Amino acid sequence: MAASANVLGVFAHVDTTVQAIRDLRAQGFSDLTVYTPVPVEEIEHEIEKVRPLSAVRLFTLVGALTGTATGFFLTIWSSLKWELVTGGKAPVSIPPFVIIAFELTILLGGLASALAALILGRLPKLTPSPTYDPRFTLDRFGVAVACAPDKVDSVQSVLSAAGAEEVRR
Amino acid sequence: MSTLPAPLSTTSQATWADVNRDVIRTVSMPGDRYFAWMCLVALTLACGVAAWAWQIWVGIGAAGKRTPQMWAMYITTFVFWIGIGHAGTLISAVLYLFRARWRTAIYRGAEAMTVFAVMTAGLFPLIHAGRMWFAYWLMPYPNQRYLWPNFKSPLVWDVFAISTYLTISVVFFIVGLVPDVAALRDSSTGIKRKIYAVIALGWEGSDQQWRHYRRAYGLLAALATPLVLSVHSVVSFDFAMALVPGWHSTLFAPFFVDGAIFSGFAMVLVLMLPMRYLFDWYAYITDRHLDAMAKLTLVTSLVLSYFYICEVFTAWYSGEHFERASVFAKATKEYAWAYWGMYFCNCLVPLVLLSRKARVNTVILYVVSILVLIGMWLERFNIIVPGLGHDFYPYTWGTYYPTVTDSTIIVGSFAWFFILFLGFIRVMPSLSIVEVKEVLPHPLKHAASHGGHH
Amino acid sequence: MSVMDRRSFFKIVATTGAAAAAGGCGPSAEQFIPYVIPPDNIVPGIPAYFSTVCRECPSGCGLIAKNRDGRVIKLEGNPDHPTNTGGLCIRAHAALQGLYHPDRFRGPLAGGKPVTWDEAEKQLTDKLGALAKARQGARIAVVSGLETGSLGRLMDEWTRLLGARPRIAYEPLGYEAIRAANRVSFGRDAIPDYAIGDATYLVSFGADFLETWLNCEGYTADFARMHAFYQGKQGTFVHVEPRLSLTAANADQWLRNAPGTEGLLALAMLRVIVDEGLQVGGAADLNTLRAAARAGDVEGAASASGVPAETIKKVARDLAKSRGGLVIGGGMASTGSTVTDTLVAVNLLNAAIGAVGTRVRFGSALPLGKASPYSDVAALTQAMAGGQIDVLVLVDVNPVYALPPKAGFVDALAKVPLVVALAGRPSETTARAHVVLPLLHSLESWGDYVSEEGVLGLMQPTMGPVQVEGKAVVALSTGDVFLRSGRKALGLEEGKGPLKWPTFADYLKDEWQRVARDYGSSAPFGEFWEGALRRGGVWRQPASPAVVLRPEAGRVQAGAAKLQGDGTHALLVYPSSRFYDGRGADRPWLQEVPDSVTQVAWDSWAEIPTETATKMGLKRGDLVKLTSPHGSIELPAYPTDLVHPGVVAVAMGQGHKFPGVFANEGNAATGTSSQAGYLNVGANPMELLPGAVDPASGGLPHLAVKVTIAATGGRRPLAVPQAQFNQDEREIAQWVELGSARETELRGRPPEHANRPSMYPPVKYPEYRWGMSVDVDRCTGCQACVLACQSENNVPTVGKAQVAYGRIQHWLRVERWQEGAATQPVNMFLPMFCQHCEVAPCEPVCPVYAAYHTKEGLNGQVYNRCVGTRYCGNNCPYHVRKFNWFNYTWTAPLDLQLNPDVTVRQLGVMEKCTMCVQRTVAAKDMAREAGRTVKDGDMQTACQQTCPTQAITFGNLKDGGALVSKLSLSSRGYHVLEDLGTTPGVTYLKKVVRSEPAGGHDKPAEGHKA
Repeated sequence: MAASANVLGVFAHVDTTVQAIRDLRAQGFSDLTVYTPVPVEEIEHEIEKVRPLSAVRLFTLVGALTGTATGFFLTIWSSLKWELVTGGKAPVSIPPFVIIAFELTILLGGLASALAALILGRLPKLTPSPTYDPRFTLDRFGVAVACAPDKVDSVQSVLSAAGAEEVRR
Repeated sequence: MSTLPAPLSTTSQATWADVNRDVIRTVSMPGDRYFAWMCLVALTLACGVAAWAWQIWVGIGAAGKRTPQMWAMYITTFVFWIGIGHAGTLISAVLYLFRARWRTAIYRGAEAMTVFAVMTAGLFPLIHAGRMWFAYWLMPYPNQRYLWPNFKSPLVWDVFAISTYLTISVVFFIVGLVPDVAALRDSSTGIKRKIYAVIALGWEGSDQQWRHYRRAYGLLAALATPLVLSVHSVVSFDFAMALVPGWHSTLFAPFFVDGAIFSGFAMVLVLMLPMRYLFDWYAYITDRHLDAMAKLTLVTSLVLSYFYICEVFTAWYSGEHFERASVFAKATKEYAWAYWGMYFCNCLVPLVLLSRKARVNTVILYVVSILVLIGMWLERFNIIVPGLGHDFYPYTWGTYYPTVTDSTIIVGSFAWFFILFLGFIRVMPSLSIVEVKEVLPHPLKHAASHGGHH
Repeated sequence: MSVMDRRSFFKIVATTGAAAAAGGCGPSAEQFIPYVIPPDNIVPGIPAYFSTVCRECPSGCGLIAKNRDGRVIKLEGNPDHPTNTGGLCIRAHAALQGLYHPDRFRGPLAGGKPVTWDEAEKQLTDKLGALAKARQGARIAVVSGLETGSLGRLMDEWTRLLGARPRIAYEPLGYEAIRAANRVSFGRDAIPDYAIGDATYLVSFGADFLETWLNCEGYTADFARMHAFYQGKQGTFVHVEPRLSLTAANADQWLRNAPGTEGLLALAMLRVIVDEGLQVGGAADLNTLRAAARAGDVEGAASASGVPAETIKKVARDLAKSRGGLVIGGGMASTGSTVTDTLVAVNLLNAAIGAVGTRVRFGSALPLGKASPYSDVAALTQAMAGGQIDVLVLVDVNPVYALPPKAGFVDALAKVPLVVALAGRPSETTARAHVVLPLLHSLESWGDYVSEEGVLGLMQPTMGPVQVEGKAVVALSTGDVFLRSGRKALGLEEGKGPLKWPTFADYLKDEWQRVARDYGSSAPFGEFWEGALRRGGVWRQPASPAVVLRPEAGRVQAGAAKLQGDGTHALLVYPSSRFYDGRGADRPWLQEVPDSVTQVAWDSWAEIPTETATKMGLKRGDLVKLTSPHGSIELPAYPTDLVHPGVVAVAMGQGHKFPGVFANEGNAATGTSSQAGYLNVGANPMELLPGAVDPASGGLPHLAVKVTIAATGGRRPLAVPQAQFNQDEREIAQWVELGSARETELRGRPPEHANRPSMYPPVKYPEYRWGMSVDVDRCTGCQACVLACQSENNVPTVGKAQVAYGRIQHWLRVERWQEGAATQPVNMFLPMFCQHCEVAPCEPVCPVYAAYHTKEGLNGQVYNRCVGTRYCGNNCPYHVRKFNWFNYTWTAPLDLQLNPDVTVRQLGVMEKCTMCVQRTVAAKDMAREAGRTVKDGDMQTACQQTCPTQAITFGNLKDGGALVSKLSLSSRGYHVLEDLGTTPGVTYLKKVVRSEPAGGHDKPAEGHKA
């Protein structure tokens, strides 16, 4: 929908914030952005109702498997290059290679997860969003609603009704 | 999630705003005392660097190594620092998965410690190598002659384990920092604000960011947990895979991991207690935190004692002459002081923590932690130096004597660690703003409507 | 038994002739060799081999010098030479460091200042000429070493022409007593050859024939022939000495007697033999023997010497009954006031058991019999002191050091107006000479040497004069100096007259015309000469004249040696197997190779009985002051159970006092300079001895004084690489009792322990698997292999401090392990080096594949890949891997000796024994050219080649016919630390002992000691 206007409600409390989200949803306002200083179970719970689960784990899985494969390939292939015998062991002896594979699994898995958080989280974010307020890293919650200009008033009323300290557009 | 234990808020009255204030306070222009300390540390570090330069110039002979102790204090200290590096990730990953919420107050400091400890440990393979300028040959890099490292060598496993561990710890550390740096950004002005803005990656705490962030954090923790256990196991393989009596043992992996956690917690206490005092964080690092850490220290100490007994028992029960002779020599010959010192510091001293009074008494805790650190260094020393000094071949048995060079380098490594840590606590929040807030009572309008949070 | 290395043989054949033509002077060390027109007999990169004679001691062993691009880089024994049959001792190997010694004179000196040759020579010849003209020749004296060949004759001719005093052939170890005793007993003023190899029962009264006694290198080989376990049999060797010398350590029974009581024991044994009628031989002898035996008294000897009467009787009976007995005596350490009687008694015993003429052969007499007795030296000293000498020419001798100060030589020397020293390197003597004329090293000169009657070794220059600082040293061979100076002094000219020969080489060739006739050579001289050059000389077995015991021998007197002074301990001054009389002490190699028995490297020390040490509270390295009526010296103490409680023992050869490269202190952090300062440490025990001549023998008594011991409170820790001699039940050196050795040999090898189940795939060796076997029963601990390895493989010396701190760099070490009673141990010498394990613990731990297993079963070490983690060094249970702690260097021109085929290892890398892989490669090339694979005899490793007893065998284990394969399956075979499952490529053969040492049979490694 053409979101032409943004309304922001600043809240001091968790329960009022949750209330606001519930009410807005009830009114059919679904394009919400919720700012919180810390992740809050209730709010997440509220949001997860309509959102699919985060896709980060797929990244992790792919990364980890790549790691395992690389580990075994590198060790086995490179041992076959010269086939040097050390201590009577066969050039390709799997048990020691498992360690390398394991470490690479963790390494690539971890890096992939971190990468996912950036990509999916749209980070780094170069320009701050218009509705952001520094207090959100302190102790205030924010609910930003993108709506058609004609809906602004009703949104504001919903927000203040829910107990917003401050409502602005 | 109502199964979670109650947050520690009960003991403290701090509000979210207080947290920001108290933490951001620490990231400010430091005083003269701080600089005085920094100078001292920097000077020590300079000596260490000079000593290393000298050693590179004349050769490893400048260090007191010899036949049979071709390894000595460098590897000892290497293992020591790796061990220190275990507490951080353990706290931030394992305790995170176990939802031990008291971790929030200490984990940032612990993670910083981990990263810097591993960075310190990472120096030692270089310092130790006879031709450190070729140390990069241990890395698998493509080259025309297809010369690759020997993946059967425990040293190559080390290279992989430690570089992985360092990378993951750093990632973990930075990921944790981002929201806090955002808070710093919003509270600061001018150039500082610009710098923090860059580091914060434009974090805003929107639901979109949080949900991926939380998921990633959880997965990182899940990956880091086996890593923590694997790294010191791999380091222990440096010894367990060798033939030397007293080294060639299946006991080593768990033995080393436990020792690592043990020493790691000691180090956390050594660092946290002064910070708590200097930054006036009594509200966040409460007696209950101390109690919890002390308990963990105690448990790991008891487990370690069990391993010590196992070590001696297996040596005796195996009937293996070399093993017995080795243990006997450790306990009675020229290095006996180190052996018994280790038992005293690692097995006896921590027992005082059986009393709750001791667990919450900062002085006692501090002394115990210092002794534990000494004891753990001695433990590694005992494995390496006397172990090699009395191995299979009586012809070459001998005593290792430290030289000025290697001693200075060892001291320098501590300076290196502290210069990093001291620097960190002045530019970054060494207490996790977000996670501490998380466990504080969430602001509610209608407290009645919730029978306490969760 | 000793296989001549084929390769070297061909090379000799190929080159020596040409070498002779070209005067043997290859291009000198630092010349560039043009590839376009290579000079005669030098093909760049291809070594040339020259045979010559070793002149480090009077034995005169045959040498083969390996000349590579104009420099001699390695010495090996000449397998054809009867004296040493291929073996070499440590001193011979170190001759190279004498050749390349940084201290070598660059040119002549007069009054300590460098001058031209002619100036220096003029000072001598003017004086000589004047005296000769004035018929004052008697005021000229020449002192040289023992020169039994043409050079000796030339010098004698020189003295005759000038009317000078008869030349003194001065040997500090002169063995005058042996000759004296032979004069008395057989009327022969000679030293016979003792056929130790043919004996089945050998009794030695203080004769250290494995170290310095007479023809020691040859005797070591003979000893192996007589004593090594072979086909179930083994000769018996009983050694009588107050101290556990290397020789005593190899004895089946070491009788630790009170010093100076050898005579009593010998006569007591004679008494037993005669009383029990066990003697052989005719009636004539019998009376003499009876007469002599009356002086013998078993009980008295027992109480005086501390050797139980029962033992004396048993040894005497066994000796007599063996019917292959041989008795020897007269080691320097036992030359007391009664030594002549002792040796007469020894002769009597030999007569009694029928050894004279069979195993005591006057036919092949030894050159030492021709050395001037010490009494002549004393007489000369008197003359000098009396101002009767105007010119004294000292040819390559160092009496100032070697004689006791009490002999007064130094003061007498000051009274001689002109002292001319001919020498290659500075010494105490050259420091006091007015004129120094530099000599070429024996490896740079022509010559010949009679090493025993009928054996005439031929010396040729093996390289041109060494270049020091880019310039060849200005020097001549002794012969040339005498020819030139003689002619100048007497106004003769070249080409005619008594000294007509232009060079000594020409003189030598003329002399050899006569030799050719002597040896009845029908071939034209040219062929004879070249043959001799190739072979290294000419030899024949002279007939042994019958000798009869003279009645005078019957009047032998029994008595213990009289010792001067009221000290508490008798002083035992023994010649060191490392430095002989002290002439080798300026060579780092000899300083760093540990003394086999005490395992002390560098410095010198006083062996003090444990009782005394504990009473005085002395620990190893505490400084003690030994005081005799004639002087006192300070030394670090070495408390030991292995000397008689009434004895203090000090080795000869250390404590030199003259400046030199190695005499100055240096920075300990870098390789060679840490060797600096060793030259003048230690002390010279001669300073404690009287200079008086022993009237009976005319020799210098070495067992002459008692000393008092006083702790000075100071300390000078000794460098002892071996931490302890007790192997702590680890079965490193193993032994087996003779009886069971015989049995197992009959039954064949007991089940192989090495075949234990393995989780690893079997290792494949396509063509070769190189392996070694080391016979602990044959190894006498002479250390020759250590130096052979050091010179072949460019192993650096690291200095006392580093050796003391476990950083000795030797790839090969000879360990001494003792079992049984502390005072009467069974000694085992174990050469230990890289075991080239199949399941090598060192290999898999290397992160960069610097250590790996080659397809030929060698444990490879890639120096330039090594990063220096030293993990392999920890993980090698034998600790045979050596790390380059510093950047070790060689003081020029010692670096000219380095073997171009072997890398000089860099700072920070690990190194170790390669089983001379450079030789293996060369052998494979040669075999490939011949279109076959390498066989036994194609090559030998350096250690194997030099071993006088053939204790070491190298070869291809895949070749069933190879000797090494057979030996590896011997019933005595074992692997060191076998239970670790490293499956070494080196098999050791157990030492065979006569009886279980006290302290029990060697237990399995899983002992009950914790």
